[in-house]
Amino acid sequence: MLTARTIDPADPMKVALMSCAHTHAAGYASQLEARADVDLVAADPDGYGDVRGVRVVPTYDAAWNAWAEGPDAIVVTSANAHHKDLVLEAARRGVHVLCEKPLATNLPDAEAMVEACREAGVVLMTAFPVHFAPEVKALRTAITDGTLGEVIGLTGTNNGKLPAGRDWFTDVELAGGGAMVDHTVHLAEILDSVFGPPATVHAVTNRILYAERAGEGAETGGLVTLTYDTAGSRIVATIDCSWSLPADAPTWGGLRLQALGTGGQLQIDAFAQHVGGHDQWLAYGTNTDARLLDAFLGAVREGRAVDPTGEVGLRTVRVVAAAQESVRTGQPVALAGA
Amino acid sequence: MTTSPHPGPAAPSASPHPLRVGIVGTGGISRAHLPGWRELGAELHCFSQAGATEFAAESGATVHDTLEELLAAVDIVDVTAPTPAHPEIVRAALDAGKDVLCEKPLALDPAEARELVEHADRAGRTLFPAHVVRFFPQYAAAKRAIDTGAVGTLAVLRFERTGALPDRSWYADEELSGGIVMDQMIHDIDQALWMAGPVERVYAQQAIAGSDSTVRTAHVVLTHRSGALSHCRGFWGPAGTAFRYTFDLSGDGGQLQYDSAGDAGIVFDDVASARQDSGDGFLPDVSTLRDPYAAEIVEFATALAGGAPSRVDAADGALAVQVSHAALESLRTGRSITC
Repeated sequence: MLTARTIDPADPMKVALMSCAHTHAAGYASQLEARADVDLVAADPDGYGDVRGVRVVPTYDAAWNAWAEGPDAIVVTSANAHHKDLVLEAARRGVHVLCEKPLATNLPDAEAMVEACREAGVVLMTAFPVHFAPEVKALRTAITDGTLGEVIGLTGTNNGKLPAGRDWFTDVELAGGGAMVDHTVHLAEILDSVFGPPATVHAVTNRILYAERAGEGAETGGLVTLTYDTAGSRIVATIDCSWSLPADAPTWGGLRLQALGTGGQLQIDAFAQHVGGHDQWLAYGTNTDARLLDAFLGAVREGRAVDPTGEVGLRTVRVVAAAQESVRTGQPVALAGA
Repeated sequence: MTTSPHPGPAAPSASPHPLRVGIVGTGGISRAHLPGWRELGAELHCFSQAGATEFAAESGATVHDTLEELLAAVDIVDVTAPTPAHPEIVRAALDAGKDVLCEKPLALDPAEARELVEHADRAGRTLFPAHVVRFFPQYAAAKRAIDTGAVGTLAVLRFERTGALPDRSWYADEELSGGIVMDQMIHDIDQALWMAGPVERVYAQQAIAGSDSTVRTAHVVLTHRSGALSHCRGFWGPAGTAFRYTFDLSGDGGQLQYDSAGDAGIVFDDVASARQDSGDGFLPDVSTLRDPYAAEIVEFATALAGGAPSRVDAADGALAVQVSHAALESLRTGRSITC
């Protein structure tokens, strides 16, 4: 049970959306604004101006002070490098947090954020919307209920276009890296939810795709290979995190994961649900943002932790940090205590 | 076949003697080679430690009791024996002055594979490694598109190959077959080399099911000298696993994707497919394609006859062995291996 403030069930929850820098901010804002049980304020200190239809304030201070007693919860959708300051401030104020992935751009920041929220007794949830996709749930179930038998290998692809409209995504200082930082953690979280942390991490990267547009030093292609030791046997998994979708493709990208076992094979495509046609992509799948927010708000009201937790976010940052070390050294990295 | 209603003396043949080919090793893959030799009108000879009589009954080949006897009777040798026997048979055939088609891998040891290449050079004969996937039209089309710049500079390549463990015990013995990397994945390693060029680093991981050691998977990550990255994923699945192969090739100018499971030119519904023979999962179904095995054999014979050179040569076969061997070393040491 968490110790921070409780919220009167009769009152709407006061929620501040911290920054419009992330492309998910507009989606979260419209979901939250539509809820009768939420009173929303969105801070847009960078002046993006494209989160509309909600109460927008120009500074973080204005958002912290939008209510006399401050917000009950914040949703952190700033550039990755700014997550830490916002989350530590929330912990200091006893405010619950939903933080975009990756939780932080480096391991010490992520550890400090998790520790601060634990000490403050506030909810820290990491925003992995695809965790809530029914396809991902089906995969978790097929592995844990034994349908696939003994699982030995997985291949995941989280490929997309170079993120457009928000240049910080490919700015190494603000994002923490390129495609490997952006696109490894979703699949790492899914694997973590079934197998726990990996034993070893190996990664290779390049910057051939979108080389003209990506920020200096940001990788745009990458392959991250993980091993998991479970009950004496080994599982091998590779994540293709590349921004390899051509700019003129009809959709942003997608996430696929294939699991191989003694009981057969399963492949999921979390963004398969769409009506197609020449150059058409009409997505109609589950609104995972809505499910994510629902889980977060429920946890805050009930004062309990919720998956994917801050700890899961931290473990996926650890995977990315190990992958970056592997790229530097050219060798696999063993994760201590995995 | 003749369509003449008035049989008469046979028309003079362009070639006075049919091509005489000696098939050494008469297991599963030798059957896949038969249509190509038949298309060439070749006279078939065979020698094998086991199963030669059955093969001869199916194919009409002349059985020889010794390799020496076969070598004396043929122009070309087709080596389809188990992998560990390849080098000795290839050397004997080259020494007898024969051109040789040899199943992949040429040898398990890269030094020995290179030595076979040099041996062929010294003998002045052609050694042709049977990297049949280069003759699958999907891969050939992708290769042509890459070479004409259709996807720009290649960045990230993924290859998957899925099948059942071949139903012959020597394949499961890593010492004999080189395991899933050297036997199955070498096809995709060869594709990566063909499409994205030489490799400077190799990292590999493998998982073998504790509950059923015939079920195994391997992942190999190649860093090409060009900077491109390749991921090869092999899988020998449980009994009943259908053969499947996929690729996904991304460059800075576009993408090429293929999945044999989505290649739906012919679709039986569940009722009808339950009544179909679904194959053994060991070799792919090539019934809707220009038979890639026949295409490679015809291309080989054409090159030997002075026609266009083949798209694969002995050095390619040795390079595929070298990179696959580096992958095995990575499996053994857990390290990334410099090639």
